Amino acid sequence: MEDEPLFADRPEWADVVPLEQYEGVIPLAPIFYTNEYKDATNYFRGIVKTGEMSPRVLDLTENIIRQNPAHYSAWQYRYKTLIFLNAPLDVELRLMDELAVKYLKTYQVWHHRRLLVQQTKNPAPELEFIADSLQIDTKNYHTWSYRQWILAHFNDDALWSRELEFVESMLNYDLRNNSAWHHRFFVVFQSGVRKGDEDRAEVVRRELTFVKTKISTAPNNASAWNYLRGVLDHSKTPYSSLKSFVTPYSVPHSSHQDVTSEDIVDLENPLPSPGAQLPCVAAIEFMADAHESNGGDDLMRATELWRSLADEHDTMRKKYWEYRIKEALQNVR
Amino acid sequence: MGLPGSQVEIDPSKLALAFYCLGTLDLTGQLADQNTRESEKELWRQWIWAQQTRSERHGTGFRPGNYMTAIDGPVDVYSEKSENPPQIITTYTALLSLAILRDDFTKLDREGIIKFLQVCQNPDGSFSSEPFGGDADLRTMYCAFVISSMLNDWSGIRLPDAFKFIKSCRTYEGGYGQIPFAESSGGPTYCALASIYLAPEGDEAAKLSDSERKQTIRWLIQNQEPSGGFRGRTNKEADACYCFWCGASLSILKARELTCELSLSRFIASCQFKFGGISKAPNEHPDPYHTYLSLAAVAVYPPSNGQSWQLQSLDPLLNANEETSKWAREHIPQPAS
Repeated sequence: MEDEPLFADRPEWADVVPLEQYEGVIPLAPIFYTNEYKDATNYFRGIVKTGEMSPRVLDLTENIIRQNPAHYSAWQYRYKTLIFLNAPLDVELRLMDELAVKYLKTYQVWHHRRLLVQQTKNPAPELEFIADSLQIDTKNYHTWSYRQWILAHFNDDALWSRELEFVESMLNYDLRNNSAWHHRFFVVFQSGVRKGDEDRAEVVRRELTFVKTKISTAPNNASAWNYLRGVLDHSKTPYSSLKSFVTPYSVPHSSHQDVTSEDIVDLENPLPSPGAQLPCVAAIEFMADAHESNGGDDLMRATELWRSLADEHDTMRKKYWEYRIKEALQNVR
Repeated sequence: MGLPGSQVEIDPSKLALAFYCLGTLDLTGQLADQNTRESEKELWRQWIWAQQTRSERHGTGFRPGNYMTAIDGPVDVYSEKSENPPQIITTYTALLSLAILRDDFTKLDREGIIKFLQVCQNPDGSFSSEPFGGDADLRTMYCAFVISSMLNDWSGIRLPDAFKFIKSCRTYEGGYGQIPFAESSGGPTYCALASIYLAPEGDEAAKLSDSERKQTIRWLIQNQEPSGGFRGRTNKEADACYCFWCGASLSILKARELTCELSLSRFIASCQFKFGGISKAPNEHPDPYHTYLSLAAVAVYPPSNGQSWQLQSLDPLLNANEETSKWAREHIPQPAS
């Protein structure tokens, strides 16, 4: 862009009166704009004043956006001009493919894209674009929210059909990517019932099997434990029904070596991998919660587990675990 | 004094930047008369007031700055065609910045601001960032709530719709996402909780149930990672700004004492830059946003060791020095006639 002449030097812009920025009051934190930026924004103010919406406005606003992707008004005026000119929006979207990746963390890039897709009503290519841009930044918040918005807004069976596959590919790459876990919950539980998922009890079983397998591969993964809790809470399944799965994760390795040596292969309850770091804090916490909701004598077992977290396994959160003990005992009285 | 051309991206949110800088000075006691000249404060106030802009149909608010105001144009009115409308986020930061500067708010167009909020609210209860559209999320929601709370006038918000939108952003993890269906994150969680707890008394439907409150506290506490810093989302790295967003959220939920404040201040100390300022993580570049939010976090969680850590105490709902918050509540509402 540095090679491009200033708008002030372009004969085809000679008819536009550039307008400087108003600075009537001594400005707070003034910015020393570059000449290129001053030049382009002066012409933009001039254009806004006359209300011109022509193809050259698209050049001008693109120029400004490339210098300042957060320039709210340039985006807005660009969108109005595109609509006014009835410009081909697929061409605009291809330009956005480049700019979105360049300015992944700018709100305006994504907002503009939403407006465009609402016009084209062609969401399918978006999923591919999103998948590509998540390769670059696997947890980008804007990108994931945009995917959720596309799916929910257009709510088309064909769009949903490969989402679980997509989540699995993201999790295969990084099992601790919470954005992917969250997306799975959104797809399975938060957005209506997918084709083939009508049997909800079966869906819950499938999800429990899925998350258990992932926990057995990497037990100290807060995302997976939160997902497990999410599935149980959503389906109102008591935590205590998972005791036999969780127990081996809540104790040191040596305590269940005897069990593994007996070669019991229980597909419902996969065991932690031999190299796993145990006991796992999330498992102890889970067992304590299960005991707490059972109440009665189990409450003492819950407090013992919280005590072990406070004093030994998760001392940083000592005050939190002691609060759990206090709360639980208070409720008994 | 000024910023280099490379910082041009902050131009469309200049008033937010001003708030982070003024907030930093406020929390560290630098705005007291012996530290900052009154004449200087007066110039700052004048610049902020110069951003108040009106429209008969769309209401009054504050623009982010002069970046779209042309030299020949009217400076205190806007229209759908002027491309320099007020924004809800900078309207909130303007009011708070003026309170920091102890303005008397005689120039405030209160009715216009209420109108502006009404125009910005969408059918789904959310608020657009400006009267002619723009993104709508829990940030803009929070701004609408703080503005109404400071004005002590709730006629600008359809509260039941707003609460419905907030609820629709809650996720299975116990936090809130920026928009419906999005992942739980510290910033939107703060915005949701602060909005709910700023709402006028008697709106019981808005409040969290016991089990929701417990779940949210759990998620927040789990986000404090071994370095002592908070992360914004499960399994991400700690970032100084989330020490405020998550830390203040716990304070709003009356669970402040559950945080490990010593390790929190240790983390923030490690984010200090050797030539001043605080960055998001150790060995990164500092900026006004992370500097202010880190100090705000320390103000919520003052460590017991060391005088230099003693800051002005903070109102977690308004995200301001308590004295400033008191000033805002005394001077921003319509004076009794």
